[in-house]
Amino acid sequence: MNGLETRRRPARVILWTALAAVLVLYGFPFVYLLLTSFKTPLDAIAVPPQVLPSQWTLDNYVAALSKEGVVPALINSVATAVLSTAFSLALGVPAAYAITRYRTPSGRVFVIAALVTRMVPTIAVGAPLVETMRRLGISDTTIGLAIAHTTISLPLSIWLMSSFFEAVPVELEEAAKVDGSDRLQAFRYVVLPVVSGGLAVTAIFAFLASWNEFLFALLLTSVRAQTTPIVIANFQTQFGLDWGGMTALSAVYSVPVILLTLALQRHIVAGLTLGAVKG
Amino acid sequence: MRLTDRRFALALIAPAALFLAAFVAWPLLRFVTNAFYEISPIAGGPRRFVGFGNFATAFAAPAFQGAALRTIVYTLIVVALEFTLGLAVALVFAALGSRSAVFRTVFMYPLMVAPVVAGLLWRFLLIDNFGILNELLRRAGLLQSTDQIAWLSNPKIALFSVALPDIWLTTSFITLVLFAGLQNVPGDVIEAARIDGVRFPTLLFRIILPLLRPVIAVALIVRGIDAARAFDIILIQTNGGPQDSTTTLSLLIYRTMTRNGDPGLASAMGTVYLIGMLVVATVAILAIWRPGSDQA
Repeated sequence: MNGLETRRRPARVILWTALAAVLVLYGFPFVYLLLTSFKTPLDAIAVPPQVLPSQWTLDNYVAALSKEGVVPALINSVATAVLSTAFSLALGVPAAYAITRYRTPSGRVFVIAALVTRMVPTIAVGAPLVETMRRLGISDTTIGLAIAHTTISLPLSIWLMSSFFEAVPVELEEAAKVDGSDRLQAFRYVVLPVVSGGLAVTAIFAFLASWNEFLFALLLTSVRAQTTPIVIANFQTQFGLDWGGMTALSAVYSVPVILLTLALQRHIVAGLTLGAVKG
Repeated sequence: MRLTDRRFALALIAPAALFLAAFVAWPLLRFVTNAFYEISPIAGGPRRFVGFGNFATAFAAPAFQGAALRTIVYTLIVVALEFTLGLAVALVFAALGSRSAVFRTVFMYPLMVAPVVAGLLWRFLLIDNFGILNELLRRAGLLQSTDQIAWLSNPKIALFSVALPDIWLTTSFITLVLFAGLQNVPGDVIEAARIDGVRFPTLLFRIILPLLRPVIAVALIVRGIDAARAFDIILIQTNGGPQDSTTTLSLLIYRTMTRNGDPGLASAMGTVYLIGMLVVATVAILAIWRPGSDQA
């Protein structure tokens, strides 16, 4: 129980009212996006605007999903995010383990270097990466974009996983070693299962970082590997101001991740607050 | 044994370190080097060493000075409003106790929305003629007509308006972090202060906020860095307009590199921006966080 909790009834009524007001203000924009996605094109830009559709229709969804390039972009988004999550975990988990378990000077330097990458403006890495990807022969490919997204999610993964490994008692591994496992076996069969919850959190954050990313995708892809955020942005130039289509595709793109993260919310909150609250 | 431990650790760190060296450090080095060259925008075109010429051009350009100032103002607007709102909501959650758990979840959802979606959505809410926000304000009696506030087309207020989706998107992050921090504030400290008759503002400013300082520092630094880097959320709403009133550094650099085709000048601007970020972040970390001086 926290000392800040108030038990006085009038105070609680006022606080609940304030909270309800904030939640309505906070929830309204996305609810309005969903409502607009079910409106007819004329309804969407009616003057004065109405909150509710005068006529409910799925036309925006049908039109948006049948537009050229939209379904491939959705597939690209999934593929890029999955690939980049895999890269982040494969590289970040062993590194985070080594940093927390063997406190070597090189590990400490590495943690600081990884944190500094967070401060780098995306364009300063993205612009030269265009050239790098061309040299590697992976311009405008999902793997190229996934590599670029990993530059964002890898430092984050190392940061998160370090906090999770911190919580694993050393005795656990020592017991495994006494039983004859070598270090790699102890890591693989004893430590990793213990931090499986942490792995899930880290994977979700790596996935979201790639899923929602825009500038790398803008710089590094043109047609073949284009992801959905770019297509959503193009709704306003390429096809005129198609608000109905834009809101429908945005809903298709956002609702699954919102539902997924709400379902896993306890883990997500842990991940968001970990680095900040415990030092 | 010690040495082999060290080698084992190095073997585990090496792949990640090599990856970041190849795909962050090396591109970054090339970016900074480019700042000293005049570069043709055509791939493989000529390069000419110009020393600090690009930096001189950047600093002398009103566009660069204006964008730098707007980046600072934008970051301050976002961080100040997010912190105030985020702290208020965190305190409400803390005061309501465990029964607010469901609402904490609901409050969190914008964090999962892509910035480009948030930007477009808010552009739609604020747009002239058929924007719903002005219509709702008019129905509530706060506005006489819906064209009274031109959120995104009045250059005087556009920088504030484009910050709204950013605030909507990530205030929950500040709330979550501060709420978690509030859980760690010892209950007996607050109880003791209450018994001594300390009023709430004093309690907040003299006891709670100082105790939360490390948490506040992390939240503000993380959000400050991200706000200063904001790109897609602004691009999608105004593309830097009207009259450049929302052109921040990231937009100016992108435009200089692509549309104006001057990678050398863009790199010089980006290098100044990068150094500025590192200096401000380091100073902020040392000033508010003070690692080492107390438990962070």
